[in-house]
Amino acid sequence: MTRPSGFIRNNPVAAVLIGLCPAAAVTGRVIDALWMSLGLVFVLVLTRVSEAILRGLNKAPSGQRPSRPEPLRHTQSSQSLTAGWLGRLFLASCFTASFEVILQAFAPDESASLGIYVSLIAINCIVLDRVSEQRALGAPKATGTEILRALQDSIAVGAGFAVSLMVISLVREVLGAGTITLFPVGSFGGTVVVGNVSLEPARALIYTGGGFLCLGYLAGVARLLGHVRRREREQSRPEAGPV
Amino acid sequence: MLVVSPAPHVGGLSSTRRLNWSVACCLLPAAAWGVFLFGVPALSVLGVALGASLAAELLAALAWRRVTLADGSAAVTGLLVGMLMPPGVPLYVPAVASAFAIIIVKQSFGGLGRNWMNPALGGVVFALFSWANAMNSWLPARGVAAGTGVLPPLNALRAALTGAKSAHRGALAVLGASSYPWSAADGRVVAWINTHILSLAGWSLPGGVFDMLVGNIPGRIGDVSVPLLFLGAAYLLGRRVIRWQVPVTYLVTFCVAAQIFGGLPMGCGWGTGGALFQLFSGSLVLGAFFMATDPVTSPLTGTGKLLYGMCLGVLSFFLRYFGSGGDGVPLAIVLGNCVVPVIDRFAQPRVGSPGKAAAG
Amino acid sequence: MSLLGIILTFSLVDNVVLSRLLGVCPCVGGPGGMRVTVSTSAATALLMSLSALAGWALQTFILAPLDLEFLRTPAFVLSVACIAGLLEVAARRMVPQLLRVAGVPLVGIAFNCATLGVVLIAVKGGFNALQSLVVGLAAGAGFFIALSLLTAIRERLEVEKVPSWLRGLPLHLISAGLLAYAFMAFDRAFLSRLFGGW
Repeated sequence: MTRPSGFIRNNPVAAVLIGLCPAAAVTGRVIDALWMSLGLVFVLVLTRVSEAILRGLNKAPSGQRPSRPEPLRHTQSSQSLTAGWLGRLFLASCFTASFEVILQAFAPDESASLGIYVSLIAINCIVLDRVSEQRALGAPKATGTEILRALQDSIAVGAGFAVSLMVISLVREVLGAGTITLFPVGSFGGTVVVGNVSLEPARALIYTGGGFLCLGYLAGVARLLGHVRRREREQSRPEAGPV
Repeated sequence: MLVVSPAPHVGGLSSTRRLNWSVACCLLPAAAWGVFLFGVPALSVLGVALGASLAAELLAALAWRRVTLADGSAAVTGLLVGMLMPPGVPLYVPAVASAFAIIIVKQSFGGLGRNWMNPALGGVVFALFSWANAMNSWLPARGVAAGTGVLPPLNALRAALTGAKSAHRGALAVLGASSYPWSAADGRVVAWINTHILSLAGWSLPGGVFDMLVGNIPGRIGDVSVPLLFLGAAYLLGRRVIRWQVPVTYLVTFCVAAQIFGGLPMGCGWGTGGALFQLFSGSLVLGAFFMATDPVTSPLTGTGKLLYGMCLGVLSFFLRYFGSGGDGVPLAIVLGNCVVPVIDRFAQPRVGSPGKAAAG
Repeated sequence: MSLLGIILTFSLVDNVVLSRLLGVCPCVGGPGGMRVTVSTSAATALLMSLSALAGWALQTFILAPLDLEFLRTPAFVLSVACIAGLLEVAARRMVPQLLRVAGVPLVGIAFNCATLGVVLIAVKGGFNALQSLVVGLAAGAGFFIALSLLTAIRERLEVEKVPSWLRGLPLHLISAGLLAYAFMAFDRAFLSRLFGGW
């Protein structure tokens, strides 16, 4: 359980069912999805790592407690706003603010186009955190290991998020606008025009409904792949005992 | 006896089949009239829509391992999608709309009887937002010279009234004043009636009455056959294939609202809305009798149906007069579909916890 | 924008869920029937309006004058959390039975992307205090509309035999997508025609 899980199983968008909000809203263009994923990985990594550092600094009584596996979405009312949850949220929002500043400095057009959704990365992170807490069972180990594990985990989760967003944005932008918008590099303007589709693309996919549809089908496909993989694994283990 | 699972469930497959094929047969005369008026483009649009929906249904058969073409629902969906298209539309539009309707709106939810949105309308709404220009390009009526800026009477009326209140009373008068190109046949028929019949009583019909009645106007393929649609609907109602509650309430609510309030944007005052003009424009009759009555996507109880009809009437009124699409009917019915589960939930008498009872 | 215009815009035209894709989590993921829906939306609407007001206050009196715009996100997040906490305390004192509908703490649910999103939208829109409050309420009303429609659809889907790989969340999302397309019938042009005539 200490290895960071693979893309599909740990895929936050498809498999984990939470943290959906900014995802589909900003997948109208590939470059928007890229920047969102970058932002999420940035905030996620920094939040988790600093949290691991802080927990390490805070080792004594609170650190000895075995981490309680919180149920997925329901927290006890009195604990829902304890320092742990809130502190993490505050950390995440600070890092999100710094990402906003970076984005504003390096890509102001992108900042304008992403709008409020960049700020929502903070909430996204929190929701993802609450989900992956379930997997962090066992007593916390040495600080160094904790930090490394936080790093690995957050990068894996962020990568899964990025892949999902990329898939959705590719579908939406290619079919819905006939282009693929990327970073302008050198003489490359940044927009790839996809032949025939760009003449009369299905613009409805660019609207919010298209985002929901792509999200829904992606979640379904991920589940389907999970079924297939499970079936393959069961078949390759013919002597499996009663489960 | 409380039925919990949505329709169609009465009588099983054979009555569903009968329902769908009856509806398809009753649509054919209207479709044929549209083909007569618009020619080969209309025929190809209808053919592509039908073909695409049947192909999509076959594709779904691969997933369900059961071919469901015989139940007739794919045929009805294809026909409806085709009839909601303008005749000159590029052929990929009805193809994608039909495929979307069958695969995404119907089969993803489990196939016949399990969708909550009318498949044909779902596909058409998708096409409306995807290819807005194509869905708003019209072919001229028979006997009218092809010029630029061909518009159905409804759209032309709005264009004529935008910004300036008209001095004329009534939709046809406004259109006549803005020199809307009615056909030569219409001119002759109306002139004949005026001279030989109505002049005795001192009345006169404005130009365009014949064209509107007969359907010789630009519009979607299914918009132009209102009398034939009424005939088909009468047959279906008589044979109790469809129920009267939804279409009658829908049309009555809409016509009352249109007559009372419809004249206001035209500056003509109250009670001058021209409900008859509205009735014969756009997909109102097609929607009321053939799409709003879909048993799968309309409420289960009689009270629910009446409420649904009224909602549709009100929504259509607002969307037609103030909405962005010229004819608010497809979007109105789709919005009504969204509300149907809520209506069903509250119109159901309570037996234990709703939604958890065993499927009927 | 007039107050009525604000109400109609943020509940129908720019619906928080169906146009902005915020607040999707409780809409599609959670269990619970209509009662939970009503209480969740009520809590969310209250939280949204108070947070929008707080956001306006923060922006007007602290962030803008002191040129601290870049601290917007942490500031708003903290304010929303505080208000949520206060609401929970108040609810526990006054209406304890509401707090435990279906065993899920209301305020925990109410605090989702939608609330922070609405605060940001209200601040970006440059509304005054009363307008911000109304923006929050209207967004909450829109949230209620979307949530109740989706809940009813969800209840209907529960008894159907749907493809196994699409059962649950995928179909809820697809339904939300179809609902979003339907709601595109209400757009700004519609509102302006409604109020301003043709």
